[in-house]
Amino acid sequence: MKMTKRIHAKDTMTSEERLRAAINLQVPDRVPVCPRIYYFAAKYAGVDNADLYDPTVWNDAINKCFRELGPWDIINPWGFYHIEVLSLIFPMKLLVPGLTLPRDSILQFLEEEIMEFEDYQWIMKICKQTPSLSFLRLVMKWEPKIWSQVSKGWKGYAYMMPRLLDHLLTWRKEFKQWNEKGVTPLSGAGVEAAFDSFSMARGLVNFARDLKKHPDEIARAAEAMTEGNLYLIKSASPILGIKRAAIALHRSSNDFISPDTFKRLSLPSLKDLVERLKADGMSSHLHCDGNWDLNFEALRELPAGCAVVELDGTSDIFKAKEVIGDRMCISGDVPASLLALGSVSEVDEYCHRLIEEVGRGGGFILTAGCEVAPNAKPENVKAMMESVVKYGYYDQVTAYKATAAGA
Amino acid sequence: MTSGTIAASIAEVDEDVALAEVRKALDAGTDPLVLVEALRKGMSTVGERFEAKEYFLPELILSAEIFNQAIALIEPHLGEAGGPSRGSVVIGTVQGDVHNIGKNIVATMLRCAGYEVRDLGIDVAPATFVDTVKETGATLVAMSGLLTVAFDSMKATVEAFADADMRDSVKIIIGGGSANDKVLGFCGADAYGKDPSEAVKLAERFLG
Repeated sequence: MKMTKRIHAKDTMTSEERLRAAINLQVPDRVPVCPRIYYFAAKYAGVDNADLYDPTVWNDAINKCFRELGPWDIINPWGFYHIEVLSLIFPMKLLVPGLTLPRDSILQFLEEEIMEFEDYQWIMKICKQTPSLSFLRLVMKWEPKIWSQVSKGWKGYAYMMPRLLDHLLTWRKEFKQWNEKGVTPLSGAGVEAAFDSFSMARGLVNFARDLKKHPDEIARAAEAMTEGNLYLIKSASPILGIKRAAIALHRSSNDFISPDTFKRLSLPSLKDLVERLKADGMSSHLHCDGNWDLNFEALRELPAGCAVVELDGTSDIFKAKEVIGDRMCISGDVPASLLALGSVSEVDEYCHRLIEEVGRGGGFILTAGCEVAPNAKPENVKAMMESVVKYGYYDQVTAYKATAAGA
Repeated sequence: MTSGTIAASIAEVDEDVALAEVRKALDAGTDPLVLVEALRKGMSTVGERFEAKEYFLPELILSAEIFNQAIALIEPHLGEAGGPSRGSVVIGTVQGDVHNIGKNIVATMLRCAGYEVRDLGIDVAPATFVDTVKETGATLVAMSGLLTVAFDSMKATVEAFADADMRDSVKIIIGGGSANDKVLGFCGADAYGKDPSEAVKLAERFLG
């Protein structure tokens, strides 16, 4: 369905056009904005976090935020209605609100061994046997260790596949509904990057040993996984109708590894995946949790004009603009602590600075850093949404001259 | 010399060599306090390399693992001559948060630096911090929290000390991914550390 609705009266582009321009490092009509809301919606709507697994409750809550604190251009597709599907992004044991935590808690992760050391070799073996299905086979090997309701073997597949399909079809329906409001999804299908998957699934202590004693196995297994990751993304994308893939990198920041380790062991498989997605006409949204300041230079190896680096407030986003702004779109990074504890004027001032400096020349999406904190002040969220209208139209910016930049 | 080898192998985060050398030294009757000092020297080098950004989290985690395993080997030989303590610290991840890797590393590094550490684990209620300080006489409380929901728990814990008329007798520090000046101001603690090395420096500042 072709989007026609504009969000604000002054807009000369649709949200989809604006987002694509930002990703392609062209200058849109104004800076696009995506709040990145999940648990905040529950608090704002007066429901428990555990209620968000019901798609009706989730959609009511996020739409209440849109009506009263928005509007916004871009929606983060984060409704999860089958908890087991989360393991594609978080291959770890989870404590879940409503199941193993109080209903108003938030998801938490346990550093336990899901992946055995022998799995590195197993991964390389299955990637030779069934390259396309390798990622799926890996997920299905780990799922029974994470969720007691998922059995090993064909019974596990019989449990998971309908849930995965239902998840995709529910998102497809939601994307259509947002489209009718003039809002476009940030991304569609997604995976956790292979290196990061291993870090999460091995647990930090085991993985620290693996990095010291078996770094080459990590790199080889990660590179072998690209085909499987690509297959899953390319299979899900036509169902969702979105040619933007989310690649989560929860453990490749410098909070976890050195820049040298990133370059040697994490980047090669990431680069392979991003390049192959670009060859298929897809952009990559790299969710870069943590501090990436020492990794920015290495990110220049990724192909230009097809990837977004999503920063969460702990990196220096202004340094990111200097180092990679000519090759990658940058999104971020209003910090959780500012939205939760700051004043409206502090949020407005920070967003203004982001728009002026990181938005210079295009290639910027204003978002919360990672996620709007569950305890964010609603007025601060509204101030963030309003800032792109106050400061974000490129033809009105006088502090700098906007220039078009192509890939 | 064995203690030099032990310190060097910890500094190089060589688990196999470090533990083998500790075992060899114990079998040879080496003074266990000399071995503990070698472990501390090695960990001190690890801390320096972390600050210099030569080492990162994996080296901290693995060196802490080596230290804890080595101490477990040495402790039965220590008897009562455990060495003087520089002060007592109570540490825990605050209520509502179960993350513990960073907290565990800080606890290990504080022990390395000669502090007595009572680790309360995760999801620690404010009252538990207060009761443990009463029990141990600790004068430094270290709270860890990764999630934004930890802000309120940190604030509640600081307030619990005030309610118990104990706020002036403890220093309270916070750490974790979200710790910054804004969070510090909100929760009313005395200082925050961005990483385990800073936590040790704060302990030295407040306890000596």
